[in-house]
Amino acid sequence: MSMRGHSGVSAELAAVDGRRRINMDKVMTGICFVLLLIIVVIPIVMIIYNAFFNEGRLEIEMFRTQMTDSKNLDAMFNTLKIAIGATVLGTIMGVFYAWLLGRSDIPAKGLMRALFNIPYMFPPFLGAMAWDMMFNGRSGYINKWLASVFHLESMPININSVWGIIFVEVSYYFPFVFMQVVSALERMDPTLEESARIAGARQHQVIWKITLPLVKPAISAGALLILTTSLAHFGVPSILGYAKGIYTLPTRIYAVIYNSGGSFDGIRQGAALSVMLVIVVSLALILQNRILSAGSYDIIKGKSMRPTLIKLRGAKIPLFLLAIFTLVLIVIVPLVMIVLISFLKAYGLPLQFKNFTLAQYQKVFSANGTIDSIRNSLFASITAGVVCMFLGTLVAYVVQKIRPKGKEVLEVVSMLPYAIPGTVLSIGVILAWSGRIFGINLYNTIWIILVAYLARYLSFSMKTSSAALLQVHSSLEEAARVCGASHTEGLADITLPLIRPAMVSGFFLIFLPAMREVTTSILLYGPYTRTLGVQIYSLRDAGMIPQAAALATVAIGIIIVLNTIVTHVTKDRKGV
Amino acid sequence: MADQIILRNVTKKFTTKTLGDIVAVDNFNLQVHEGECFSFLGPSGCGKSTTLRMIAGFEDLTEGEIELCGRLVSSSRKNLYVPPEERGLGMVFQAFAVWPHMNVFENVAFPLRIAKVNKTDIDRRVAEALHHTSLTGLEKTFPGDLSGGQQQRIALARAIVTNPKVMLLDEPLSNLDPKLRETMRFEIKALQRKFNFTIIFVTHDQSEAMAISDRMMVCDMGRIMQIDTPENLYNKPCNRFVHNFLGESTFIRVVVKDGRAYPAGHMDQALDVAVPKDAADEMVVATRPNEIALTGPCEGGFASRIEKRIFLTDRTEYLIPVGDQLLKVQTPHRITFSEGEACCVHFTEPMWYPADDEEAEKERARRQLV
Amino acid sequence: MANVKFENITFRYGQNTVLNNFSLEVESGKIVCLVGPSGCGKTTLVRSLLGLGKPETGTITVGERCLFDAKRRINVPAEKRNIGIVFQDYAVWPHMTVIENVSYPLKKQRRPKEEIHRRAMHALEQVHMTEYANHLPNQLSGGQQQRVAIARAIVVDSDLLVMDEPITNLDAKLREEMLLEIRMIQKRLGATILYITHDQQSALQLCDKMAIMEQDGTLCQYGTDEEIILHPANRFTFEFIGVSNFLPVVAAADGPALDCGTLFPYAGEVPPEALRGGFELGVRPNDVVFDKDSPIRAKVDSRVFLGSEYNYFLSLGNRQIRVQQSMLDARQRGTAAEGDEVGIRFLNTRFYPAKKGGQAA
Repeated sequence: MSMRGHSGVSAELAAVDGRRRINMDKVMTGICFVLLLIIVVIPIVMIIYNAFFNEGRLEIEMFRTQMTDSKNLDAMFNTLKIAIGATVLGTIMGVFYAWLLGRSDIPAKGLMRALFNIPYMFPPFLGAMAWDMMFNGRSGYINKWLASVFHLESMPININSVWGIIFVEVSYYFPFVFMQVVSALERMDPTLEESARIAGARQHQVIWKITLPLVKPAISAGALLILTTSLAHFGVPSILGYAKGIYTLPTRIYAVIYNSGGSFDGIRQGAALSVMLVIVVSLALILQNRILSAGSYDIIKGKSMRPTLIKLRGAKIPLFLLAIFTLVLIVIVPLVMIVLISFLKAYGLPLQFKNFTLAQYQKVFSANGTIDSIRNSLFASITAGVVCMFLGTLVAYVVQKIRPKGKEVLEVVSMLPYAIPGTVLSIGVILAWSGRIFGINLYNTIWIILVAYLARYLSFSMKTSSAALLQVHSSLEEAARVCGASHTEGLADITLPLIRPAMVSGFFLIFLPAMREVTTSILLYGPYTRTLGVQIYSLRDAGMIPQAAALATVAIGIIIVLNTIVTHVTKDRKGV
Repeated sequence: MADQIILRNVTKKFTTKTLGDIVAVDNFNLQVHEGECFSFLGPSGCGKSTTLRMIAGFEDLTEGEIELCGRLVSSSRKNLYVPPEERGLGMVFQAFAVWPHMNVFENVAFPLRIAKVNKTDIDRRVAEALHHTSLTGLEKTFPGDLSGGQQQRIALARAIVTNPKVMLLDEPLSNLDPKLRETMRFEIKALQRKFNFTIIFVTHDQSEAMAISDRMMVCDMGRIMQIDTPENLYNKPCNRFVHNFLGESTFIRVVVKDGRAYPAGHMDQALDVAVPKDAADEMVVATRPNEIALTGPCEGGFASRIEKRIFLTDRTEYLIPVGDQLLKVQTPHRITFSEGEACCVHFTEPMWYPADDEEAEKERARRQLV
Repeated sequence: MANVKFENITFRYGQNTVLNNFSLEVESGKIVCLVGPSGCGKTTLVRSLLGLGKPETGTITVGERCLFDAKRRINVPAEKRNIGIVFQDYAVWPHMTVIENVSYPLKKQRRPKEEIHRRAMHALEQVHMTEYANHLPNQLSGGQQQRVAIARAIVVDSDLLVMDEPITNLDAKLREEMLLEIRMIQKRLGATILYITHDQQSALQLCDKMAIMEQDGTLCQYGTDEEIILHPANRFTFEFIGVSNFLPVVAAADGPALDCGTLFPYAGEVPPEALRGGFELGVRPNDVVFDKDSPIRAKVDSRVFLGSEYNYFLSLGNRQIRVQQSMLDARQRGTAAEGDEVGIRFLNTRFYPAKKGGQAA
């Protein structure tokens, strides 16, 4: 009889042990429910309530006006256009490079694979900044250069367009598909393809009829990740589109609140728009669930054998160069551009050595709030990381091992913020914690940012800890019990150490994106609580582009250092 | 009978980063006759799978040539290599390799669709293949909803639907449970009778190979040891490795003195075996545990006693001291001795191997560890 | 002393009764195998013994010590039961080195450091793993991990060891080795070993005594390997322990006969109660021998050479029977070819009531 069947082992043990344990389980479960209520449920309820109610009365009017406002409809249309465009192009690009690296004999695979993951590390809004510097429809550096070389009347490329936004989003989001598909290709049993060869299919027929259909689940998973991320994305459209009047729903929400000067009415309008955005994202998520549950099959069995690599022959060098070119274009060029601009005496001067200076760095660090912003970001992201790490593990433990009644509710609630765009979450947090409930007012403090981060990132650590806990087979803890350890000792000696690596990587999974976060904090920051992302954004917004670039360079430096530390820390893991 | 698969001096070398050059297949020569069921048998790393993959066309060879149905498909001399899809083979893999995104019908129809067979013919031929593999009625089912045995039947149906002359089976039964393995073995043989193809069957399971093959090749460490019928391989193994690899074996080291064989470490009682004329001073006598007859103490033979008795599900195993060694004997349950009881051991036609094979055996074991 | 006594154990999962009023007493210092088809409740029984599951009724005692008594509301927690356990999936803790794994039970007993090290090393010695003391489990093979699990189970000198399918995840060759190893360890320690498996073969190779459980969780037979093999108590044991043929027995006008569509007169001895109808003759495939003079005539459907034996399927009337002929037999009596008609004789026969409903194959 398989022990996997005993999912409720812990509950069973509790019954055997007597009263004390029961209470501890109940305490843990209770804590989970209360914390999730405060962190997740209240903000969400506040949004819905404020979108439809005013001073306790049902009021659909405002919601209707917002829904029919042509600016909002335009924004919605743009959001969809960008999301669909980015998804289609990002998927094609991701699949193409995944196949090239997973199945062909293209050289330098390891290096290329590492490089293809880099866009994943950097905040897209910094990339958008760089591209704006190069191809701004009026003053992009490369645009100007091209125009002078080819004696053009107008700028050849305008990045401040829907297509520009799509391009930048694709370059940062295609790794979602790339990584999923590469790993699916690696895990795939090569005899599935070999048997098609034996059946008489030629190489290209095998790709179209066997390989691609088999990795379809991985492709759709990645594609839908692009879709949902893009729908909720704030950074790139705000940097590239805002000035040109191209709005998406997230930037529109920001604009509405910003223009109203943070008045309650503005926030309510934002809440109404948020409901609209949440509906769109939910539809995408429902679609995702449908597609993923329909097409999951097992392609990983059989003996591990290296797949026969397809010889590219004549196409090898051109494809290799194409891959290198892509990497340079999406990874190196924007980086170089930001660093170069950060050395400029003033934005707009030609990129020549005589115009270079270190003054921008000096200025930015003596400027109001820069040091504060780094400190704020470090504080908020480390605290959020640590708290989420423990809270997420607690929720995961309750859901996986204690399995109380209503565990499904816990699971859904903790994953809910994952489906809610950062902008929307911010509005919920504002509505909840600016004095309206129990008079608690966190607005303009760093705590409101922290609360928002907790809600936003809890699902990350909960996911990693859950996966790790599932791997900890109950017999490991049982073996400890039989060896003379009490339940608590078993937890402390066996289960926790085993999931510790997962908890640590859960921490970094939160800490790293929180460090460069801009979407959530842009709506929550106060005069003394700017975050690093917000500071870069506002510097740029205020026209101090070289200073923004200098701070961006520093931010990128920090990110690279942190990432190196992460890889180092998580490299040799003892756990599951 | 014509030779349908011919391997001439086939050699395959791999270069690995850690171990340097490895000769996976060393100068293989063999002919497989038309309509024959031919097994490649050997421990893992013996070169059997590599050979099969060279025949299928998934690996190119380093030296030599391969001929399929009178057509040269691989040749190092002529720098010729025909890709797998043009070799006209059927193949079944260990992990089934049925495509999970296609239903049963589509899986089996795939080779025909690729060959652009017209629709009515596809329907007819797929129905026929499904009929012969007892899958009729499951056309619309997806492989993920079927058992391992049924999935392997799909793979078989897909392989026979093009009516190939040669069928390559790469450990097709290893992923099935023992009971199913036996049934599938019969089904494969029945299909062979019906469609009259030549089978190459790769396995590491000797009893499976013996049950299914007309002839088989036993190989070890990249070299062919012996090619013969199962009965001949079992009864007349060419060396100690083959003896040990096929069926159960029990070995007794003996010292030959005055034309009689004494178990090592015990010179007062000779074994009741005829010593071959050319026997060296030290030899190894090999036999099968169930070919040794066990009788009561006063009926001749080598007198000893039962040291240990172990009941197995279908027979009883006895360990009996012979000199300083223990002889393994197996009898049906109905023949019962108790531990410590005196008994007599009778050998029937044992095999003789040079004693220095012992060293070779140790060397083998060592190499396997490395 | 560690005789284990299960009395009137009843265990339910929801509506599903796994064990119903189950009793078994296991003698001290023996290797006892608990054998049964999967799902028969043997694992549930062992989990109750370990304190990882709680039966509804009954008592469990080890030696003089009562571990569980439903009536007296005694339920010693798992960590206080002092039973060594080896799980099927090893359950070796991957974040601890081999020596840390083995030391853990002693640490929980708060032994002095020096003693912990000495005893842990001694336990590793017993399983020949001393040189791997500082390895992590993922650097070890499956067999080695299982050795670590055994060392961890024996380190506290518990007089009762429980092994739950410990060799199932190992390959065939390693399985044999581990069985020998377990036997040696038991000899050295003198502990009682309760060994759970669904594999009759390994149970026979290992045990002093076997308890065979039926699918519905009842105890079918408890005895030595000799008793089980030579005197199976009932049809379930006989069928469970090996391959078998069954042929219906009837009383014909001129004595006992086998009813296979046509009647074959049966000359062997038949106990009188078997002639009252509804009985079948059971015989092992290697107890069917060719005898050209026998009136029981069968046709050879297929013959397969399996190395150590020939495997035949014969048609006897409307029945198919299986025959295994050892090479020794084949040499002495000769083989039969497919399509031949042969006379057969049954040795070592048994008679059991026929199963209701189905025909035995």
